[in-house]
Amino acid sequence: MNVVYKHIIRFVVFAFLQALVFNQLNIGFGIHLMIQPLFIMLLPFELTVIPIMGIAFLMGLVIDIFSNTYGLNTSSLVLMAYLRPIVFKFYGPREGYDPLKEPTSQDMGTNWFTVVYGILLGLHTFWFFLLEIFEIGRLGFILQKTVLSGGLSFLLALLIQSFILNSKQKK
Amino acid sequence: MRNLIAFLQRFRIFLVFAVLQILALTWYVTYLSFPRNQFLTTNNNIAIQFLEWEHDLTKHFNLSKNNSQLQWENIYWRKRQPQFMYQLSRSKVKVNDTVYEQQYTYIPAEVINSSVDRRNNYFTLNVGSVQGIKRGMGVFCQEGVVGVIHYASKHYSLVKTVLTSDINIDVNIRMKKSDLPGLLKWDGIDARYGMITGINNDLRIKKWSKVETRGGSGIFPKGIPVGKVSHTEPIEGQALWKVEIRFAADYRRLQRVYVIKNLHLAEQTALEARIPEDE
Repeated sequence: MNVVYKHIIRFVVFAFLQALVFNQLNIGFGIHLMIQPLFIMLLPFELTVIPIMGIAFLMGLVIDIFSNTYGLNTSSLVLMAYLRPIVFKFYGPREGYDPLKEPTSQDMGTNWFTVVYGILLGLHTFWFFLLEIFEIGRLGFILQKTVLSGGLSFLLALLIQSFILNSKQKK
Repeated sequence: MRNLIAFLQRFRIFLVFAVLQILALTWYVTYLSFPRNQFLTTNNNIAIQFLEWEHDLTKHFNLSKNNSQLQWENIYWRKRQPQFMYQLSRSKVKVNDTVYEQQYTYIPAEVINSSVDRRNNYFTLNVGSVQGIKRGMGVFCQEGVVGVIHYASKHYSLVKTVLTSDINIDVNIRMKKSDLPGLLKWDGIDARYGMITGINNDLRIKKWSKVETRGGSGIFPKGIPVGKVSHTEPIEGQALWKVEIRFAADYRRLQRVYVIKNLHLAEQTALEARIPEDE
């Protein structure tokens, strides 16, 4: 399958899963599951940062329209897209990334994925709740929401990746 | 000039980042207080279509519970209808010396999209300006108050619920001798608990006393339940109580609501506009 088509389909699937399924789940304890950072994470290695920020902006716009958050998701996704190449460079192999591989836990190893996606998702989620609550006096509550939501979203990301791997093996 | 171009070249990634961030944050700050355009909310045609399909699937999940709730409400009002009551005093002449006029009408609506765990939670209703919904109308459900209409498009509307940071609904705490007025707020932690501010701490508040709408601003009629006082503690350094209330309604599984149309609202606002501003 063409790489461009694959990512367009992923964009649609991730946006609708987030808007129509994960936004509707009220788990309690301030937990808010977010899968749209995984889409930004899974974009190909060779894409430069400006197109990634553009895609992140679009993705955030769609999610914001569906959840009445007025730009919160857009802002945090653009931040994550901006930081993605920096984190990738820091944890990358010395000879650079193999353009044939994808930034998934199957291609790059679970350790690499855990560290890189953990950092990016953590920053994304922290920025999201910081903007949403916007009170320095309640930093503890912001951190609690970040840790709970980020942790569960990370597990969800691993689960979704195992689905993507299974569909590859069948082919 | 060349230096400027070189500077832009060098920092163009950061500049693009800054522009996109400023766009997103401007959108966030302006829309929170007043949405000018329906396109960027769930009220636009495309998003609402998908949410309707989602709602068509999930609306049956709470059906039996909702039906029994409606049945209870019907029984409640039926018990208060005079024609179904036994007449105790028969031989007296009935003099009705108070003339009533209808002040509020109610528009039934269904919640098709909702959230309760954000800092600011908005619900989408399936009624809009075609049904006469306008910005600023009150919304309540059978158990209690829900919020105020934030934006109304042609067929749908957006409710700013009591679960937002700057909702400020006038409420009363019902006491034995007099009512204590205060403002309802929400601190963003738990959808079951809210707060009331502006009550001096020389007054005693009984736990589990009822909290109702005050009906001063013309948005809500007097006496729609809000919740019950669950906890009070003094605020440090101020002569005020921090009053925590437990909401009467469970916003996590809310489906059917009523929008309040105040028939006297235009008269009231026209009258209050005559207050001179300088005094």
